[in-house]
Order: sequence, then C-alpha cells, then structure tokens
Amino acid sequence: MMTGEYPSIVVRVVCALLAPFIFIFGLYVVAHGHYGPGGGFAGGVFLAAGAILPRLTLDEDLAYRIFPVVLGPLAGGIGMLLFLACGVLPMLFGGAFLDYGAVEVAGIEPARMRYLGILVVEVGVGLAVFGAMVTIFDVLMGRSER
Amino acid sequence: MIVPLDIIIFVILIVAAVLAINVSDLLAAVALLAAYSLFASLLFAGVNAVDVSLVEAALGAGLTGVLFIGAILATTRHSTAKRNRRRRIVVLPLIIAFVGLMLYASIDLPDRGDPDAPAHTGVSQYYLENSMADTQTPNVVTSLLADYRSQDTLGETLVIVTAALSATLVLIRRREDEPGEPSPLDPDDDAPVVEDPSAPSGRGAPPSGSDDPAPSDPYADEHRRGGRP
Repeated sequence: MMTGEYPSIVVRVVCALLAPFIFIFGLYVVAHGHYGPGGGFAGGVFLAAGAILPRLTLDEDLAYRIFPVVLGPLAGGIGMLLFLACGVLPMLFGGAFLDYGAVEVAGIEPARMRYLGILVVEVGVGLAVFGAMVTIFDVLMGRSER
Repeated sequence: MIVPLDIIIFVILIVAAVLAINVSDLLAAVALLAAYSLFASLLFAGVNAVDVSLVEAALGAGLTGVLFIGAILATTRHSTAKRNRRRRIVVLPLIIAFVGLMLYASIDLPDRGDPDAPAHTGVSQYYLENSMADTQTPNVVTSLLADYRSQDTLGETLVIVTAALSATLVLIRRREDEPGEPSPLDPDDDAPVVEDPSAPSGRGAPPSGSDDPAPSDPYADEHRRGGRP
C-alpha cells in the first residue's frame, strides 16, 4: 500500500523533517514570483508536494489531520474564485477584464496596483494548482469519498 | 545554435523515452519518465528559461511521478501490450517520414536567441521594455503570465482545476461500481452499493454513479485481477 506509515524510520524522519520546508519553499516561490523564477504554478506544485509527502510516509491519521482531505477541493475552489474575482474587480471600476491597473485605490498608482494584482493572481493560481494536485492524489488513493 | 551539452541531454532524453516505452514494468517506466523530465528541465535551464525549468522539475519530475504511481497502485503494475510485428512494419515508415518532415521543417527555424526571429520582433519587445514601468515587476515572465497575458493563465488554471474535478468524478464513480472489493484504506467502506438510484448515497458522488449496476462493469474482473504491487 502506498499511503500509511512507511516501514523505514529513516524515510519517515527525513520526510517529516523535509515536508514543512518544502511547504515553506512553496510559499516563497509563490510570493517571490515577481523577482525570481517561480510564481503560482511552480509554487502550487511545491505546496502540493509538501502536503502529499506526509501522506506517503507518515501515519495516516496524523497526515490527514495535518492536511485534511477537504482542503484540496477547498483550496482549488478558493484559488479559482480569487483569480476570477481579481478579473471582475477592475470591471467594477470601468476597466477591462483582468486589467488590474484600472482599480482605483487612493495612494496607489496604477503600476503598483498591477504589481499587487499580479501577486493576488499568483496566490490564486498557487492555491488552485495546490488544490487540484492534492485532490487528484486523494482521489487516486481512494480518499475523497469521505 | 546547438551546444555540446544540448546534444548530451538530447541523447539522454531519447534513450529515456525509448526505454520508458519498451520497459514492461510500469513502475520503472514512471521512474524513467521522471528522469526524462529532470533532463528536460536541465535543457530548459540551459536556454535560460528558468521559470519553465522550475515547473518542469517540480511537476514533471516530482508530482507527476507520484500521481502515476498512484494510478499504478489503483490498476496494475505490468504492461500487457503485445508486440505486433506487422503493425511495426506499417508504423515505422510513418514515424520515419514524420521525423524527416520535422527535421526538414526545422531547417527554416530561426537560431536560438536570434534577435530578428519573428517571435522577438512583435509584442515581446514591448513586454521586455515596459514591464518595469507598467507593473514594477523585474521578472518579465511573471508580469507576462499574470498581467499582459493573464487570460491565458486563467485558461490554464481553469484547465488544471477542471482536470482535478473530472478525475474526481471518474474515479469516484469507478469505486462506486466495485462492491466486491472494499478499499483497504477505508475500513467502513464495505457497505453494499445503494440499490435504489434515487436514494442519496451521502458521499458526494454523482447521482448517475449508481444506475450502472456492478456486474455489467466490463473492467470489474480486470480490477480484481490487477491487484496491488
């Protein structure tokens, strides 16, 4: 069987130590897309890897308590909605779909607004990819029925 | 412009791909595909496409392998594809002709990094020059993906989420059709399949899942026989 406690303690300890760092690195990649390689897609995949690694190696109850099954579809839906909301919001200000520069907030110039819009979109993409990957994994493992 | 490193990587890629197709142990094929993705990401890094390289390394070499292994666990580990000599005689000339056509077409492609290439004379010049002023984002790839071309990214994200949703629909239904094999993961899952299609199954499964009686599942036998490695 694939999920559940892995027999070797070396693997268990190494994966338990690595998983949080992979998750943090995923957050870094999502947030740091403006300045380096990465962004939503790669960051979301790293986040998913950080969530799936405990499921592969640690005790099932523990792994699914850290990242419940419901988190996958939830994160996917929230990320997708965040992206869509980011697209619709400029339309309320009279701009085009996904034209973040059109959003008017006092004290923030359009270029800065685009910068922030990119950040929100990256977070949305990251959440969506994370949720999609975890959902596919859970479904394959027969975990999604609960 | 092809540097020696490219040739080495290309040879490794071709060898890995051919081995992945030929090997009958699917677990080995998954490992070979992961290696393939890793070297492909090296290739992308070699042409300074670091963003693509990062995604390829994380997704292709990491997570896809995990999902493939999950699929192997749910089905069978050994490929039962039969070698058909007659089919090979038909297919091989086609493949050779296709590769020849591709190589012939690639002669006309612009050199890598050629500033006069059609891809570099259009809007990409604008993106490179104005990304900082428009979006305050030094990484042009990010501003391109999430701002200039954000509708493409929206489509991509929709595709991924849709893929996850359709995988959920298909796989949940398949498990509903298998009353004979309670999942070892779910000890409380051995309840019989709901006979009445109108009765709520209470599992969030699609309602159409139960109007397909289990004995008519043509793959049920296959699933039972497949076992788990």
